[in-house]
Amino acid sequence: MKRDLVGWGIFLAVVAAVPWTFVGSDRYLMFLANVMLMFMVMALSWDVVARTGQLSLAHGAFFGLGAYSVAIAFKLWALPPLAGLVVAAIVGGVIALVLGLVTLRLRGIYFAIATLAFAEVWRTVALQVPDLSGGTVGIAMPPLFGGDRIASYYVIGGIFVISLGLSLAVRWSRWNYAVTAVRANETVARVMGLDVVRVKVGMFAASATCAALAGAFYMPFITHTDPFDAFDIGRSVSSLVFPIFGGLYSSAGPVIGTLVMRSLEEYLRVTPPWKDGYQVIYGLVIVVAVLFLPRGMLGLAQRYAGRLPWRFSR
Amino acid sequence: MALLEVTGLVRRFRGLAAVDDLSFSVDEGKTLAIIGPNGAGKTTTFNLISGLLAPNGGTIRLRGADVTRASAHTRTHAGLGRTFQVVQPFHDLDVRGNVMVGALFGSSRSGGLAAARAEAERLCAFVGLGDHLHRAVASLTLADRKRLELARALATKPALLLLDEVMEGLTPVEERDAVALLGRIRAEGVTLLLIEHVMSTVRDLSDHVVVMDYGKKLAEGTYAQIARDPKVIEAYLGTETEG
Repeated sequence: MKRDLVGWGIFLAVVAAVPWTFVGSDRYLMFLANVMLMFMVMALSWDVVARTGQLSLAHGAFFGLGAYSVAIAFKLWALPPLAGLVVAAIVGGVIALVLGLVTLRLRGIYFAIATLAFAEVWRTVALQVPDLSGGTVGIAMPPLFGGDRIASYYVIGGIFVISLGLSLAVRWSRWNYAVTAVRANETVARVMGLDVVRVKVGMFAASATCAALAGAFYMPFITHTDPFDAFDIGRSVSSLVFPIFGGLYSSAGPVIGTLVMRSLEEYLRVTPPWKDGYQVIYGLVIVVAVLFLPRGMLGLAQRYAGRLPWRFSR
Repeated sequence: MALLEVTGLVRRFRGLAAVDDLSFSVDEGKTLAIIGPNGAGKTTTFNLISGLLAPNGGTIRLRGADVTRASAHTRTHAGLGRTFQVVQPFHDLDVRGNVMVGALFGSSRSGGLAAARAEAERLCAFVGLGDHLHRAVASLTLADRKRLELARALATKPALLLLDEVMEGLTPVEERDAVALLGRIRAEGVTLLLIEHVMSTVRDLSDHVVVMDYGKKLAEGTYAQIARDPKVIEAYLGTETEG
């Protein structure tokens, strides 16, 4: 754990230093750096739920709820974006708590379908209340720090630290034993004295709060959203593809997976021969990864390199 | 006061009574064995007592407190432990980690990770897994998995331990070790309630035996008494006319 801590310390120092390299002077690269951290938050928080054995397809919806919370709070009360983060976190956490209590007795595929339905409902809701949400036209707000992407980078960086903290705390504490037991066998976990519902709902709510924070950052960062963008199912899919690709039930896996997959996605999207067809290649990479890398990049690294230079906590 | 008192317990599956008006009690420090043919309702009884199934009728009292409607984990916190007939270790945790779950969340559930780790190591040594602390559970032999099942249940610090066919699948030598181990567990002050098919185990360990058949209590008494009981012999061997 101590070595892991050193590894993560170095990683965070590198993350903090990024704007002071050539990246900082390039608005496009700085945009990517912001988005990269945002997706790392999504991937890290999704993985925390996965550790309890549940597959969430609602993380994109919590992202959207976070985005709308900030935008609506600004529209109604002129609440500044940073205060909006708090509102978004509360909204995301409370709604996740309710959804969790209703659905977490469901397992596996049934839980996944319930979260998918939940995610779809919010788009419709947003379209049905145009007075509040702006309907199909969407909703806008002024840019975070006047569009300063270095300042915004440290905002999403703070949210990233919160998510990483959650992920590592679960990994290094008694919670690791709780979630691993629940994932392996709920019946036995109950007999071992675990309140399985509390473990699952707790992790789900904490995780959804992080996803809502990511959305709450996104809103003033991008300045405009609409129901189709805010509640894009693609964001739910990314939230689960990145950790699966990087290595499940870990903190390093979601981070590495996001770094690799999001970079690949961006490269394919802007490179001439692929352009619109980039999703085909992207999809192919995912299929190959699922088939041949059962434990993701992390598993691959551990198998061939023996040990990573810094043994990131699995 | 009995440690466990079961009164008029009923559980039906689609109208068929798997457990039918079952009553018995377990006194502190006395080992009770439940025996009976396959399908007699023994494991269902365990599931009802440990809170994994809700009964259709009857009451379950633990140290006098009614726990009939209590959830499984609160019963564990109240001092009820159990093992499963089909061993179900937590994969992704090593041997010590499996036992730590019980220490962290069972009835003692104080102390931090370090205390749980120490307690798990003590229990692993106690059941004979001291050399396998960091083994992956998938690589354990059946006998060792049974030991792990015991260590994990003991880690919850039960006053009453329900053992569901711990001898099943063991070789005679392993069986002898297991009987000795159960004797040591009893010596630590844990009261045992066991479901057992192996008659020598029942004879060697139990103070009292309840015989179940078709969900009902067929007979009750010491091993010597039930071994002579014609109803019990009939349930096990059938009557002559049945061939």
